[in-house]
Amino acid sequence: MSAESDVLVKVQNLTKYFPIHKGILTQRHVGDVKAVDDVSFEIFRGETLGLVGETGCGKTTVGRTILRLYEPTSGHVFFEGSDLMSLNESGMRSFRKRMQMIFQDPYASLNPRMTVGSIIAAPLDVHGVPDGKGKNERIEELLDLVGLNPEFVNRYPHEFSGGQRQRIGIARALAVNPDLIICDEPISSLDVSIQAQVVNLLEDLQQQLGLTYLFIAHDLSMVRHISDRMAVMYLGKIMELADRNEIYLRPLHPYTQALMSAVPVPDPDVVENRHRVILEGDLPSPSNPPVGCNFNTRCPFVKDICLQEEPQYVELQPGHWVACHFADQNL
Amino acid sequence: MEQPLLEINDLRVTFHTDDGTVHAVNGVSYSIDKGEVLGVVGESGCGKSVHALSIMRLIPIPPGKIEGGEVLFYGKDLLKLSLDDLRHVRGGQIAMVFQDPMTSLNPAYTVGYQIIEALTLHKRLDQNQARERSAELLSLVGIPEAKRRLDDYPHQFSGGMRQRAMIAMALSCEPSLLIADEPTTALDVTIQAQIVDLVKRLQSNYGMAVMWITHDLGVVAELAHKINVMYAGYIVERGHARDIFKRTRHPYTLGLLGSLPRLDEAPGTRLLSIPGLPPDLVDLPKGCPFVARCNYITDICLESMPPLESAGDNDHLVACWHWSAIAEGVAK
Repeated sequence: MSAESDVLVKVQNLTKYFPIHKGILTQRHVGDVKAVDDVSFEIFRGETLGLVGETGCGKTTVGRTILRLYEPTSGHVFFEGSDLMSLNESGMRSFRKRMQMIFQDPYASLNPRMTVGSIIAAPLDVHGVPDGKGKNERIEELLDLVGLNPEFVNRYPHEFSGGQRQRIGIARALAVNPDLIICDEPISSLDVSIQAQVVNLLEDLQQQLGLTYLFIAHDLSMVRHISDRMAVMYLGKIMELADRNEIYLRPLHPYTQALMSAVPVPDPDVVENRHRVILEGDLPSPSNPPVGCNFNTRCPFVKDICLQEEPQYVELQPGHWVACHFADQNL
Repeated sequence: MEQPLLEINDLRVTFHTDDGTVHAVNGVSYSIDKGEVLGVVGESGCGKSVHALSIMRLIPIPPGKIEGGEVLFYGKDLLKLSLDDLRHVRGGQIAMVFQDPMTSLNPAYTVGYQIIEALTLHKRLDQNQARERSAELLSLVGIPEAKRRLDDYPHQFSGGMRQRAMIAMALSCEPSLLIADEPTTALDVTIQAQIVDLVKRLQSNYGMAVMWITHDLGVVAELAHKINVMYAGYIVERGHARDIFKRTRHPYTLGLLGSLPRLDEAPGTRLLSIPGLPPDLVDLPKGCPFVARCNYITDICLESMPPLESAGDNDHLVACWHWSAIAEGVAK
């Protein structure tokens, strides 16, 4: 699957720092929040790449920077080989049609003063896809596709439940026939039984339309459920990236191991028999990450070298990337 | 048999709104023994938080109203207690930890001040004793340099530390019941694991009973002895944790379990979602509230609400007309 032609998106050394300023009259630049720090990965056509990590690890920033909703500090994003970061605004616009986003909060991401029809029509208008009658048909077709009654076009977002609103957001993203959809925590604000409905819908749509997803979430078991491959982020860096089975069966990074063991499993038998790694302490601040390995403040296996030298992010086995000095000892 | 710590009989709570009467809790009965951990599971609006708040009469009245029932704590009905007497129970014998530690701590006072306040109020300690005890409590819940941290304000704590501080505050008066309402929902999994571990440890050391309210069946599997599954203001299934997971008897519980992806699942597994939405609590259906989403529905389900009855052995209770058919399905 790793043939060059199959790569839809290639992210290379992507870095996004948010500057911290102090002072009222003279804005002194006193530091940076290193939200994303030198991140590289590829997304293959037709796959779902899961991006998982805790609050503040930079996973949302990665998604937004790929779309250039944030301008990166440095690095490149290639979409079918074209460098998005070298494009001007109108050049970027033609690519935006092919990359859409689904947002976390279905209450905040839909304009309460617009009808469902006009919300879904907005991307069609911007990108100049069919006018007039063709447009209305397209909107009805999209509503049907996401499992909503096409007669709802003239209703307002407040008339819908959270799960239904998320469906509207999905219909809006699909309107312009994108290749890539970046799903930023699309289910975390929904109830459990509704989450499953939305995830099943996303899986069905991927099959029908051949979509590629970057699925960003903090829920490890849900990410593993939907993804083909998954990447684990911590403090602005990717710690480990591998196939969904490989990373579950042979996690090489101590953070991945801890994260896996922290996931609650709804099965008393598993709970009784498993070994839990409980991490101590909290996430360090991304404005002042530790020297050496990012994870050294919480790692149960920390050694001297971890405090001094940052581990390289390397492909230790075909398709299995990891950034840890001692990962090869876990093989 | 020993008297249960808390016994709730036919508790009913409504909210009177412009849109009509919201039937939030519709006749809930169960008991918690001393030292027992009860998990209360359900989705938004199933009445799990409202029923817990009603135990200590913390719901806003009006629009809320406790329509009927009893809440017997050591045999005394909390719903009939005078406000003065209730004050000793609140925070003293029953303590509560809420979902969002940022909104439940007062940002204008130091963390220490807020713990000391509870100690001077309920335990009648003087300032110095209370301060010392507070520092002990903070280090008990795993906050480093506890003595110095007493003088920090809530915003200087991280989310996990704030929840620890809330737990320290709740434990300060050695309650016999701790009600934890979605205490880890706002936290990351690694921090959640720390908090679950902490509560488990404290619970077994102090022998206090815990009511852990959550939408996450996974968390409940980690610590609960017994589980109540709630739907539309009813308890639809209740039993020992193992039975709820392994000998599931209610279609809603079955659906909830099927909706959860498992970390160890095989590739290509499809989630069993529950179709549709929970019913409108203003206009509940006449029969079982789950009818619109259920696969096992027959005429009787539309006609009358099934009673919460024994599903065989082991204190396993279920409110479904067809639980025996479901039992056969689960056994397969």
